[in-house]
Amino acid sequence: MPRIVREADIEWEGTTARGSGVVRATSSGAFELPSTIASRVEIHEGKTSPEELLAAAHATCFVTSLGSELARLGIPPERMHVNCTITMDEVEGQGHRIVHSAITARAVVPGADEATFAEAAAAADGGCPFSALIRGTATVTYEATLEGGS
Amino acid sequence: MADSTAHVTWSGSLLEGSGTIESVGSGVFSALPITWRARTGEEGGKTTPEELIAAAHASCFSMALSHGLAGDGTPPESLETSAIVTFVPGTGITKVALTVRGSVPGLDAAGFVAAAEAAVENCPVSKALAAVPEITVDAALA
Repeated sequence: MPRIVREADIEWEGTTARGSGVVRATSSGAFELPSTIASRVEIHEGKTSPEELLAAAHATCFVTSLGSELARLGIPPERMHVNCTITMDEVEGQGHRIVHSAITARAVVPGADEATFAEAAAAADGGCPFSALIRGTATVTYEATLEGGS
Repeated sequence: MADSTAHVTWSGSLLEGSGTIESVGSGVFSALPITWRARTGEEGGKTTPEELIAAAHASCFSMALSHGLAGDGTPPESLETSAIVTFVPGTGITKVALTVRGSVPGLDAAGFVAAAEAAVENCPVSKALAAVPEITVDAALA
Protein backbone atom coordinates (compact mmCIF):
# COMPACT_ATOMS: atom_id res chain seq x y z
CA MET A 1 0.00 0.00 0.00
CA PRO A 2 1.33 3.48 -0.79
CA ARG A 3 2.50 5.99 1.78
CA ILE A 4 -0.29 8.11 3.15
CA VAL A 5 0.29 11.74 4.02
CA ARG A 6 -2.01 13.86 6.17
CA GLU A 7 -1.62 17.51 7.00
CA ALA A 8 -2.88 19.97 9.60
CA ASP A 9 -2.10 23.63 10.25
CA ILE A 10 -2.25 25.95 13.20
CA GLU A 11 -2.01 29.69 13.17
CA TRP A 12 -1.08 31.20 16.53
CA GLU A 13 -1.34 34.88 17.42
CA GLY A 14 0.74 36.26 20.29
CA THR A 15 2.44 34.55 23.19
CA THR A 16 1.56 31.16 24.59
CA ALA A 17 0.16 32.60 27.80
CA ARG A 18 -2.08 35.28 26.32
CA GLY A 19 -2.38 34.33 22.67
CA SER A 20 -4.61 31.82 20.94
CA GLY A 21 -4.60 29.61 17.90
CA VAL A 22 -6.81 27.98 15.30
CA VAL A 23 -6.10 24.35 14.29
CA ARG A 24 -7.23 23.28 10.81
CA ALA A 25 -7.50 19.87 9.19
CA THR A 26 -5.75 20.80 5.95
CA SER A 27 -6.06 17.43 4.22
CA SER A 28 -9.75 16.81 4.74
CA GLY A 29 -11.16 20.15 5.82
CA ALA A 30 -13.08 18.19 8.48
CA PHE A 31 -12.41 20.65 11.31
CA GLU A 32 -11.24 24.10 12.31
CA LEU A 33 -10.84 24.45 16.08
CA PRO A 34 -9.86 27.15 18.56
CA SER A 35 -7.01 26.37 20.99
CA THR A 36 -5.34 28.19 23.90
CA ILE A 37 -2.83 27.26 26.58
CA ALA A 38 -5.54 27.74 29.21
CA SER A 39 -7.71 25.17 27.45
CA ARG A 40 -4.73 22.82 27.57
CA VAL A 41 -3.75 23.02 31.23
CA GLU A 42 -6.68 24.62 33.04
CA ILE A 43 -10.33 24.71 32.04
CA HIS A 44 -11.06 23.89 28.41
CA GLU A 45 -13.83 26.50 27.95
CA GLY A 46 -14.84 24.81 24.73
CA LYS A 47 -11.37 25.02 23.16
CA THR A 48 -9.28 22.02 22.18
CA SER A 49 -5.68 21.07 23.01
CA PRO A 50 -2.97 18.83 21.53
CA GLU A 51 -3.77 16.16 24.11
CA GLU A 52 -7.48 16.16 23.27
CA LEU A 53 -6.60 15.75 19.59
CA LEU A 54 -4.33 12.82 20.51
CA ALA A 55 -7.19 11.26 22.51
CA ALA A 56 -9.39 11.56 19.42
CA ALA A 57 -6.60 10.06 17.27
CA HIS A 58 -6.05 7.10 19.61
CA ALA A 59 -9.78 6.32 19.96
CA THR A 60 -10.12 6.46 16.16
CA CYS A 61 -7.06 4.26 15.61
CA PHE A 62 -8.22 1.67 18.15
CA VAL A 63 -11.77 1.46 16.80
CA THR A 64 -10.53 0.70 13.28
CA SER A 65 -8.06 -1.92 14.59
CA LEU A 66 -10.73 -3.63 16.70
CA GLY A 67 -13.17 -3.68 13.77
CA SER A 68 -10.64 -5.23 11.43
CA GLU A 69 -9.57 -7.88 13.99
CA LEU A 70 -13.21 -8.88 14.61
CA ALA A 71 -13.80 -9.16 10.88
CA ARG A 72 -10.62 -11.25 10.49
CA LEU A 73 -11.99 -13.68 13.12
CA GLY A 74 -15.24 -13.96 11.15
CA ILE A 75 -17.37 -11.95 13.61
CA PRO A 76 -17.72 -8.44 12.12
CA PRO A 77 -19.05 -5.93 14.65
CA GLU A 78 -22.44 -4.30 14.41
CA ARG A 79 -21.41 -1.33 16.51
CA MET A 80 -18.41 -0.29 18.62
CA HIS A 81 -17.91 2.55 21.06
CA VAL A 82 -14.41 3.56 22.14
CA ASN A 83 -13.42 6.12 24.74
CA CYS A 84 -9.84 7.37 25.17
CA THR A 85 -8.46 9.48 28.00
CA ILE A 86 -4.95 10.90 27.63
CA THR A 87 -3.15 12.11 30.74
CA MET A 88 -0.40 14.73 30.68
CA ASP A 89 1.57 15.25 33.88
CA GLU A 90 4.57 17.16 35.10
CA VAL A 91 7.41 14.68 35.50
CA GLU A 92 10.32 15.74 37.69
CA GLY A 93 13.23 16.89 35.56
CA GLN A 94 11.34 16.30 32.28
CA GLY A 95 8.65 18.96 32.26
CA HIS A 96 5.21 18.10 30.91
CA ARG A 97 4.95 14.57 29.55
CA ILE A 98 2.12 12.51 28.16
CA VAL A 99 2.19 9.66 30.66
CA HIS A 100 -0.90 7.55 30.01
CA SER A 101 -3.57 6.68 27.48
CA ALA A 102 -6.58 4.70 28.71
CA ILE A 103 -8.85 3.01 26.16
CA THR A 104 -12.31 1.71 27.04
CA ALA A 105 -14.17 -0.18 24.30
CA ARG A 106 -17.70 -1.62 24.14
CA ALA A 107 -18.96 -3.54 21.15
CA VAL A 108 -22.05 -5.28 19.86
CA VAL A 109 -20.76 -8.29 17.89
CA PRO A 110 -23.32 -10.84 16.68
CA GLY A 111 -22.18 -14.40 17.27
CA ALA A 112 -19.10 -13.49 19.32
CA ASP A 113 -18.08 -15.31 22.49
CA GLU A 114 -16.09 -13.65 25.28
CA ALA A 115 -12.83 -15.46 24.53
CA THR A 116 -12.81 -14.60 20.82
CA PHE A 117 -13.74 -11.01 21.58
CA ALA A 118 -10.90 -10.76 24.12
CA GLU A 119 -8.53 -12.16 21.49
CA ALA A 120 -9.65 -9.50 19.00
CA ALA A 121 -9.25 -6.72 21.57
CA ALA A 122 -5.71 -7.88 22.44
CA ALA A 123 -4.82 -8.01 18.74
CA ALA A 124 -6.33 -4.53 18.21
CA ASP A 125 -4.22 -3.17 21.04
CA GLY A 126 -1.14 -4.76 19.51
CA GLY A 127 -1.99 -3.68 15.98
CA CYS A 128 -3.08 -0.06 16.42
CA PRO A 129 -0.12 2.01 15.13
CA PHE A 130 -0.81 4.79 17.61
CA SER A 131 -0.74 2.43 20.62
CA ALA A 132 2.59 1.07 19.41
CA LEU A 133 3.96 4.55 18.92
CA ILE A 134 3.24 6.04 22.31
CA ARG A 135 4.04 2.87 24.26
CA GLY A 136 7.66 3.95 23.88
CA THR A 137 7.16 6.80 26.33
CA ALA A 138 3.77 6.35 28.01
CA THR A 139 1.62 3.55 29.41
CA VAL A 140 -1.34 2.34 27.35
CA THR A 141 -4.19 0.37 28.90
CA TYR A 142 -7.36 -1.01 27.38
CA GLU A 143 -10.57 -2.49 28.70
CA ALA A 144 -12.95 -4.14 26.24
CA THR A 145 -16.53 -5.26 26.95
CA LEU A 146 -18.80 -7.35 24.76
CA GLU A 147 -22.37 -6.09 24.80
CA GLY A 148 -25.60 -7.85 23.88
CA GLY A 149 -24.37 -10.06 21.02
CA SER A 150 -26.96 -12.46 19.62
CA MET B 1 -2.15 16.82 35.64
CA ALA B 2 -4.54 17.19 32.74
CA ASP B 3 -6.84 14.52 31.32
CA SER B 4 -8.31 14.77 27.82
CA THR B 5 -11.09 12.54 26.62
CA ALA B 6 -12.61 11.59 23.27
CA HIS B 7 -15.42 9.19 22.31
CA VAL B 8 -15.66 7.36 19.00
CA THR B 9 -18.29 4.99 17.63
CA TRP B 10 -18.07 2.70 14.61
CA SER B 11 -20.66 0.62 12.78
CA GLY B 12 -19.99 -2.20 10.34
CA SER B 13 -16.78 -3.59 8.91
CA LEU B 14 -13.51 -1.76 8.51
CA LEU B 15 -13.67 -1.36 4.76
CA GLU B 16 -17.37 -0.73 4.25
CA GLY B 17 -18.36 0.63 7.66
CA SER B 18 -17.98 4.10 9.05
CA GLY B 19 -17.51 5.82 12.35
CA THR B 20 -17.91 9.10 14.14
CA ILE B 21 -15.81 10.96 16.67
CA GLU B 22 -18.93 11.59 18.76
CA SER B 23 -17.55 14.01 21.31
CA VAL B 24 -14.47 15.36 23.08
CA GLY B 25 -14.18 16.67 26.61
CA SER B 26 -14.02 20.31 25.60
CA GLY B 27 -17.07 20.01 23.38
CA VAL B 28 -15.25 22.06 20.74
CA PHE B 29 -16.09 19.54 18.07
CA SER B 30 -18.51 16.69 17.71
CA ALA B 31 -19.66 14.30 15.05
CA LEU B 32 -16.49 14.23 12.90
CA PRO B 33 -16.98 11.44 10.37
CA ILE B 34 -14.25 8.81 9.90
CA THR B 35 -13.78 5.95 7.43
CA TRP B 36 -10.97 3.62 6.40
CA ARG B 37 -11.16 4.97 2.87
CA ALA B 38 -10.49 8.46 4.22
CA ARG B 39 -7.48 7.08 6.05
CA THR B 40 -5.89 5.34 3.12
CA GLY B 41 -7.26 6.90 -0.03
CA GLU B 42 -9.72 9.57 -0.97
CA GLU B 43 -10.46 11.91 1.86
CA GLY B 44 -13.90 13.27 1.17
CA GLY B 45 -13.97 15.66 4.16
CA LYS B 46 -13.48 12.91 6.74
CA THR B 47 -10.72 12.98 9.31
CA THR B 48 -8.27 10.23 10.32
CA PRO B 49 -6.03 9.42 13.31
CA GLU B 50 -3.04 10.66 11.34
CA GLU B 51 -4.69 14.01 10.56
CA LEU B 52 -5.58 14.40 14.26
CA ILE B 53 -1.97 13.61 15.19
CA ALA B 54 -0.81 16.24 12.68
CA ALA B 55 -3.17 18.75 14.33
CA ALA B 56 -1.97 17.78 17.82
CA HIS B 57 1.70 18.09 16.89
CA ALA B 58 1.30 21.41 15.05
CA SER B 59 -0.59 22.81 18.07
CA CYS B 60 1.87 21.52 20.65
CA PHE B 61 4.89 22.75 18.71
CA SER B 62 3.38 26.23 18.20
CA MET B 63 2.68 26.60 21.91
CA ALA B 64 6.20 25.43 22.84
CA LEU B 65 7.81 27.78 20.32
CA SER B 66 5.72 30.74 21.42
CA HIS B 67 6.62 29.98 25.03
CA GLY B 68 10.33 29.68 24.26
CA LEU B 69 10.41 32.91 22.24
CA ALA B 70 8.67 34.83 25.03
CA GLY B 71 11.13 33.36 27.54
CA ASP B 72 14.03 34.66 25.41
CA GLY B 73 12.54 38.18 25.46
CA THR B 74 11.32 38.07 21.83
CA PRO B 75 7.63 37.12 21.98
CA PRO B 76 6.15 36.33 18.56
CA GLU B 77 3.51 38.42 16.85
CA SER B 78 2.24 35.36 15.02
CA LEU B 79 3.30 31.82 14.10
CA GLU B 80 1.92 29.68 11.32
CA THR B 81 2.78 25.99 11.55
CA SER B 82 1.88 23.02 9.41
CA ALA B 83 2.52 19.37 10.25
CA ILE B 84 2.58 16.61 7.66
CA VAL B 85 2.28 13.06 9.03
CA THR B 86 3.29 10.14 6.82
CA PHE B 87 1.58 6.83 7.58
CA VAL B 88 2.56 3.52 5.99
CA PRO B 89 -0.11 0.84 6.57
CA GLY B 90 1.51 -2.16 8.20
CA THR B 91 4.51 -0.11 9.33
CA GLY B 92 2.99 2.87 11.14
CA ILE B 93 3.83 6.55 11.25
CA THR B 94 7.22 7.02 9.65
CA LYS B 95 7.62 10.80 9.58
CA VAL B 96 6.32 14.12 10.89
CA ALA B 97 7.42 17.22 8.97
CA LEU B 98 6.79 20.54 10.70
CA THR B 99 7.01 23.85 8.82
CA VAL B 100 6.77 27.15 10.68
CA ARG B 101 6.76 30.75 9.51
CA GLY B 102 6.91 33.38 12.24
CA SER B 103 6.70 37.12 12.72
CA VAL B 104 9.04 37.80 15.61
CA PRO B 105 10.10 41.43 16.17
CA GLY B 106 13.77 41.79 17.11
CA LEU B 107 14.86 38.24 16.23
CA ASP B 108 17.15 37.17 13.37
CA ALA B 109 16.73 34.09 11.19
CA ALA B 110 19.34 32.00 13.04
CA GLY B 111 17.74 32.81 16.38
CA PHE B 112 14.36 31.71 15.08
CA VAL B 113 15.72 28.41 13.75
CA ALA B 114 17.39 27.72 17.12
CA ALA B 115 14.15 28.47 18.98
CA ALA B 116 12.20 26.18 16.63
CA GLU B 117 14.67 23.33 17.12
CA ALA B 118 14.40 23.72 20.90
CA ALA B 119 10.58 23.75 20.67
CA VAL B 120 10.60 20.44 18.75
CA GLU B 121 12.73 18.92 21.51
CA ASN B 122 10.60 20.24 24.35
CA CYS B 123 7.02 19.83 23.19
CA PRO B 124 5.19 16.99 25.01
CA VAL B 125 3.70 15.64 21.77
CA SER B 126 7.22 15.31 20.24
CA LYS B 127 8.26 13.37 23.34
CA ALA B 128 5.21 11.13 23.08
CA LEU B 129 6.05 10.52 19.41
CA ALA B 130 9.72 9.80 20.12
CA ALA B 131 9.35 6.40 18.40
CA VAL B 132 8.65 8.11 15.04
CA PRO B 133 11.83 7.57 12.97
CA GLU B 134 11.94 11.10 11.56
CA ILE B 135 10.65 14.42 12.95
CA THR B 136 11.84 17.47 11.02
CA VAL B 137 11.28 21.21 11.31
CA ASP B 138 11.67 23.84 8.59
CA ALA B 139 11.70 27.25 10.30
CA ALA B 140 11.91 30.71 8.73
CA LEU B 141 10.84 34.24 9.55
CA ALA B 142 7.78 35.38 7.63
